[in-house]
Amino acid sequence: MIKQSKGVYYGKKILLFILSVFLLSAAVFFISRLAPGDPLVSYYGDRAERMSFQERQWAEEKLGLTDSLPVQYIRWLGRAFQGDFGISYKYKRDVTEVIGERVGNTLILGGIGFLLIFGLALLLGVFCALHEEQLTDRIICRIGIVTSCIPEFWLSLLLILIFAVNLKWLPSGGAYTVGGAGEMGDRIRHLILPLLAVVTGHLWYYAYMIRNRILEETRADYVLLARSKGVKKSSILLKHCLRNALPSYFSIMAISVPHILGGTYMIEMVFSYPGIGTLAYESARYKDYNLLMVLCMLSGIGVILCSMAAQIINERIDPRIRNNPIMEGMEEG
Amino acid sequence: MKEQFAIVGIIPASEKERVQKRKWYQGKPVFPMVFLALIIAGCFACDLIMTKDPAYLDLKNFNVAPNREFLFGTDSMGRDIFSMIWYGGRTSLVIGIVATALSAAVGIIFGALSGSMPEWADGVLMRFTEILLSVPGLLLVVFLQAILGKANVLSISFVIGITSWMSIAKVVRTEVRELRTREYVIVSKCMGGGFFHILWKHLTPNFISAIMFMVILNIRNAIVAESALSFMGLGLPVEEISWGSMLSLSENALLTNAWWIILIPGMFLLITLVCVTDLGNYLRRRFNRKESNL
Repeated sequence: MIKQSKGVYYGKKILLFILSVFLLSAAVFFISRLAPGDPLVSYYGDRAERMSFQERQWAEEKLGLTDSLPVQYIRWLGRAFQGDFGISYKYKRDVTEVIGERVGNTLILGGIGFLLIFGLALLLGVFCALHEEQLTDRIICRIGIVTSCIPEFWLSLLLILIFAVNLKWLPSGGAYTVGGAGEMGDRIRHLILPLLAVVTGHLWYYAYMIRNRILEETRADYVLLARSKGVKKSSILLKHCLRNALPSYFSIMAISVPHILGGTYMIEMVFSYPGIGTLAYESARYKDYNLLMVLCMLSGIGVILCSMAAQIINERIDPRIRNNPIMEGMEEG
Repeated sequence: MKEQFAIVGIIPASEKERVQKRKWYQGKPVFPMVFLALIIAGCFACDLIMTKDPAYLDLKNFNVAPNREFLFGTDSMGRDIFSMIWYGGRTSLVIGIVATALSAAVGIIFGALSGSMPEWADGVLMRFTEILLSVPGLLLVVFLQAILGKANVLSISFVIGITSWMSIAKVVRTEVRELRTREYVIVSKCMGGGFFHILWKHLTPNFISAIMFMVILNIRNAIVAESALSFMGLGLPVEEISWGSMLSLSENALLTNAWWIILIPGMFLLITLVCVTDLGNYLRRRFNRKESNL
């Protein structure tokens, strides 16, 4: 590849980013408008069904739904540039306001879950790699495969059934007891079950990945050399193999941010946890266009940013990748 | 030691010798295969097994715990869960298989097209798949399902299939880019072989083992997707029995503490998923086997 200056390199990235966001917004806009359903119902509730023809027309005009789709899209785009994303039909407030209230909850759940998943996955992966094909490794692998197969929503249901309904140890949903917002202990008690569901659902996927990455490294020639020099197994693994495996782990971490956040959406729904996930589900169901649009854009931008971060991390740590357009080992498995 | 400076150490037993020492069933996923065969046979021969009519609403006996008459109990609409499991399993499995067949076909054709096109077109197609990959899968499915209207088995398989071909396409494209300059492909092209002829006769046999495990795992993902959708109430309606739609009654079951409504369909789902995963992992292992230097 011809050497290019840093400015050009980052310029290209930013241009690609803007293009992707633009395409994404157009796609989400048109798909959501084409889907059948009545946005008036979400604005006016049951009243929408009893409206006369004139009233309907007036309402549609007021919400700007009468123009052709491209016109609507351009108008939306123009307002979005000024930071005005419209109002939520259901909540009758600014979209940004509605999301702002909820986004913190999702970030807490997703963020803590993310850190736990990757910390534990690293430990578990290294442990399994050290004991490759021994009894402990096999048992952990077996349990891991089973847990990774459990559908997230079913796991959440089971957790609620066991810990909330039968044992009555923990609350079954929400982010805090009604009226008792802000208390630390209360919040933590509400977080335990959703967190458990998030972590168990994702843990093995990443632990297995790092295990296999390390085991792949152990097939390299330098390991044979170190072995023949008499270096201990564990120190080869920790000092050499792990070091080589970590870059790809970091890039996987970056890529998987949206993946894990997406996983929390489902769990939020089951636990009726007031986060973005529940909001996205509601807005998709009730055709709350403006809200849906911004939520999709948010998750889309997150995905694009994260995969770019992953690419940059990879290229920084391992310059060989820059010559290789396909990033191996990053496909979903 | 014939050579003077031969490397001293244990000569690893050759692959062949080791294979001969093992029994035929060792290293093969026997248990998953047996379980899977049992479940598939049970679901497709459900008429012989079912003790009740799965769709019959027995309003006198709703939320009955498992007993002699209702082996797995009844759900909150009074339907016999034992019969529903086998009957609904058929729906779930069919959705898994149809969706996967669709995604595999689209993935292979798209990947092969992209792989055999000139550089710039390939780039465009690959960016396109990456953008699609970046949209959260469930969201895409929900959107498409909304466009198609009320869900039935075929429409839901179509939606799931059409949203899960991307990773297969990526692998196929990489393989095809490597294979397309081989002599036998060029010869076939020169002799007038069409795109599909070359794809089927020369390319597919070469990359099939690379994507086989992805295809198998796609079955799993499709079954999970269906159950998640139906659970949310966006997929199959409650009257159309599948493992997913059976679980959509679970909100109700939580209130009445009817554990069997949640646990039993979920266990069947889970066992099937684990077996399919094992099968996929076995294929993956067979595809890239290497020995450790450690």
